Amino acid sequence: MPTLHADKKVLHVDLMGESIRAAQGSMVAYTGNIEFKNAGMGGGGGLRAALKQRIAGESISLMECTGQGRVSLAQNADDVTVVDLGNEVLTVESELILAVTAGLQLDVKFTGLQGVSTGQGLATTTVTGTGQVALLSHGPIIPLEVSGQYPVVVDPDAYVASRGQLNMSMVSGVSWRSFVGEGSGEPFSLRFDGQGVVYIQPAER
Amino acid sequence: MPFEQVNSKVVRAHVSQATPVLSRRGAMLGYDGRVVFRPVHGQGQGVGGMMGRAFAGESNPMMAAEGQGSVLYGYRGLHVVVIDLKGETLTCEADRLLAHDASLTTSVEMIAQGGIRQAVRGAVTGQGLFTTKVNGMGSVAVLAHGGAFAIPVNGQPVGVDPQAYVGHTGNLNVDLQAKVGWRDAVGRGSGEAMQLIVTGQGTVYVQASEEKF
Repeated sequence: MPTLHADKKVLHVDLMGESIRAAQGSMVAYTGNIEFKNAGMGGGGGLRAALKQRIAGESISLMECTGQGRVSLAQNADDVTVVDLGNEVLTVESELILAVTAGLQLDVKFTGLQGVSTGQGLATTTVTGTGQVALLSHGPIIPLEVSGQYPVVVDPDAYVASRGQLNMSMVSGVSWRSFVGEGSGEPFSLRFDGQGVVYIQPAER
Repeated sequence: MPFEQVNSKVVRAHVSQATPVLSRRGAMLGYDGRVVFRPVHGQGQGVGGMMGRAFAGESNPMMAAEGQGSVLYGYRGLHVVVIDLKGETLTCEADRLLAHDASLTTSVEMIAQGGIRQAVRGAVTGQGLFTTKVNGMGSVAVLAHGGAFAIPVNGQPVGVDPQAYVGHTGNLNVDLQAKVGWRDAVGRGSGEAMQLIVTGQGTVYVQASEEKF
């Protein structure tokens, strides 16, 4: 299986006949003999995933890179972080996936009403299995450890991904002050309870 | 005197009577010593230079820093890459030139000299029909969005996204390749239909973004 090497804002992948899936149009350079082709419906997740994406508006356009050589991937000068998954689930914003290794499954999970108010849409994307995922973030990514004792609360606009046994819920800070224009500017927050890691970026979308 | 990298986005150039520095107009951030700035018109001499000034984009207002002291250069928070030339030629777009030693010679070249294919390449990739060539001995500071990395080319071809291409040094041949298939026609392409294929001996610089400026 190819390994993903993150170098600040660029992801290098050495391929020896294998393939990886990457965000469409994210190739900046390659050496050797590499083919790029649309990963197909649902980013290679099949018809079911495609349908769900269509309904949820959570679109992932991936391309499959196959061949011999080194591919360099980057998008919009965003920072790249590689996350190793060992048979676990990573919940992530779909547009922040740069690349996934073969064998990982992408799916859409409905989050219900909380997504609507944060502008994230009705659903988030989950990546399941064993392999590596490269995430994009505006500025270096910050992992926040969540342990049982205290919850971690993050800004929905800074949220990138989360993994582990976590329970996501919405915290609303809306009060009469917000209506008279005296709000704190943080009307909604995402609250995580349980055990795991939450990844955030030092910027708000 | 080589440029000194202050941080990833700012360079310091030492200016003396014998070694003035040319830069993009308005890119000075600060200076110390007795330095005066004087506008210079266009780059390149001869017909090519004039054509470059007259036509599409490839005419960048430049200024010269003269006197004695050091000058800081930066532009719009973009990353700066310093390339030291030892007699070889750097090819890039004029828009990307932040500063260079005045001892280097610049010339504007029409891509169309390479034939109709090259002209098509310029038009398709949005690079325009002109590129700038810098050669001689000295430092060049080039702008890149998100920083640039160098890929050595020796023999084996290297593919580069036209939007991410920054420039190249050495004896390289850059050719546009369109891998447009039926998939692209029905909107199911990989988004990598257009590629620059770089062959020969040298170094190609690629930025971590597909943003042009």
